[in-house]
Amino acid sequence: MGPLRRTQEEIEKLSLSGGGWATGTGRRAGIETTCYALMALHDRQSPACDRAINLLLRTQNPDGSWPAFEGDDPEGCWTTALAAIALRFIRSPSAPLKKALRWLLKYEGREGHWFWKWKFRTVDRAVQFNPEKYGWPWFPGTVSWVVPTAFSLIALKQSFPCCRTEAVTNRIQLGMEMLRDRACPEGGWNAGNGIVFGSPLTPHIDTTAIALLALTEDSHGIVVQSLDWLRHAYAGCSSAYSLAWSTIAFSVHQDRALNECVADLCRVLSPTETISIEILSLAAIAIKAAEGDANPFHGDLK
Amino acid sequence: MNRRDWLVASAAVTGSALTLQSRRRKYSRDLRPKISRIAILHADQYSDKLDQLVFDALRPFNLDVRGKSVLLKPNIVEYVPGRPVNTDAQLVGAAAEAFLRLDAASVMVGEGPGHHRDTDLLLHETGLGDQLAHRRIAFVDLNRDELIKTRLQADYCGLRHLWLPRTVRASDFIVSMPKVKTHHWTGVTLSMKNMFGIVPGCRYGWPKNVLHWAGIHESILDICATIRPQFVIADGIVAMEGDGPLNGVPKNLQTILLADDPVAADSILARLLGSDPNDIKHIQQAGRFIGNHEGVIL
Repeated sequence: MGPLRRTQEEIEKLSLSGGGWATGTGRRAGIETTCYALMALHDRQSPACDRAINLLLRTQNPDGSWPAFEGDDPEGCWTTALAAIALRFIRSPSAPLKKALRWLLKYEGREGHWFWKWKFRTVDRAVQFNPEKYGWPWFPGTVSWVVPTAFSLIALKQSFPCCRTEAVTNRIQLGMEMLRDRACPEGGWNAGNGIVFGSPLTPHIDTTAIALLALTEDSHGIVVQSLDWLRHAYAGCSSAYSLAWSTIAFSVHQDRALNECVADLCRVLSPTETISIEILSLAAIAIKAAEGDANPFHGDLK
Repeated sequence: MNRRDWLVASAAVTGSALTLQSRRRKYSRDLRPKISRIAILHADQYSDKLDQLVFDALRPFNLDVRGKSVLLKPNIVEYVPGRPVNTDAQLVGAAAEAFLRLDAASVMVGEGPGHHRDTDLLLHETGLGDQLAHRRIAFVDLNRDELIKTRLQADYCGLRHLWLPRTVRASDFIVSMPKVKTHHWTGVTLSMKNMFGIVPGCRYGWPKNVLHWAGIHESILDICATIRPQFVIADGIVAMEGDGPLNGVPKNLQTILLADDPVAADSILARLLGSDPNDIKHIQQAGRFIGNHEGVIL
């Protein structure tokens, strides 16, 4: 049995009876984990997938957002973009997706407000960034960060492949500019800003890969520099999580490092070790993407 | 009433309300022990010798850990080669071993890194993964644990509730193991600031930016009032000064500090870093209800 099939069977086995998959050591369905697992199993006729879709549909908040996990407070957060990507990928009914997109378009980093823009421009300049360029926060009432911005951009680009309204176009443009603004000086991305108190931060492999997924239109500058950085950084990496995200990004960018990266990923997926559902799912998505199957994180997914 | 009178009256009412608000007691429980105990050890390097050193230093505290579940909470933030950012793996391993020798029923290590979503990679890079595997000590990623909605036991930051990991809530004895560092926002990051790491990323993000907006000092106070670490083992063998918590420079304090009171521990450690603890809001305020600023040196 190949690593993909083995991984998919393992994910199916770990499905919760009430639907979805638990995050880490938890026993409640986590929205992030459920989205990855659903994407990983989308080509299998599985009761686990049906239960997971039901879970996603019933946990959507009335305003269109998603919580972090089943039973969470109904505030809505960064998982909304992931749920939108997952539902679109599995071709689920469109009404919940439309509600989610409306919420995403309204939801923005706190620096999007004129008062905070002014504060970050004049008083609070320890963290070096351009507050005119904002994206999406992890959690309402906070500023934009790289990962939630990248996921939101992917969700919007996939859902509006053409005929975008001005609001959608502007939001996508602004989000992409925010990602470029927050890149580390050597390429790649840390969690947020590239420079804090005058010191450059070190990029993270997974964050860089996720940001690159949202910047597929760029073929120069920061994207090229970041792909170079990622090619250098993944080599020797022992983490299946980072290797899976790198593979997914290399696949979207049709990068020359793809085959070696997926080979490294398969090597570190030890059948004897306990691996979390998130990592198993991302690994399955990555292996399928490397084999040429549909990549759920491709911004131009048709 | 003319417009001037109205403005004066409004200002007076607002001023009084703000004064009352600032004077309102913001905590419900006084957690201060009668006496706080501290031990300061000299250690000039990270080695196997730490096992015996930590065990011998713990014994005079007569800690009641027999049959209890112990959770060690190190400070694992980000791997930056050449910079002492994280609690050293060897010290975490030594502490785990010592609590097992003191007959703890179980010893686990738990952390929810603030910036890094790939906890496995961080464990590998810092050497903590190998250290714990070698000693057969379990690690829990607090960013991705089962969560329990928890009412905060103080009201400095205004959040009222946080979802906190079941592992933290279920542990009988929590040991905060900070890396002794300066911090560009809070002055220092020590045993109380280290408790930020129990707030789960899967709920609040990477970083837990909601705590920054609610006030870093204020959030520290509310978290520590709710989950007060019972013990501190601070890694000051090689500390960090300057642009901490990531980009500072090494400072060889050659010190491990043990204490049964996080406020006493942080007060001494702040002084070792050249700061007055009374100038650091969360340490100063914590002296009112979480612990004592002074303690007995064992």
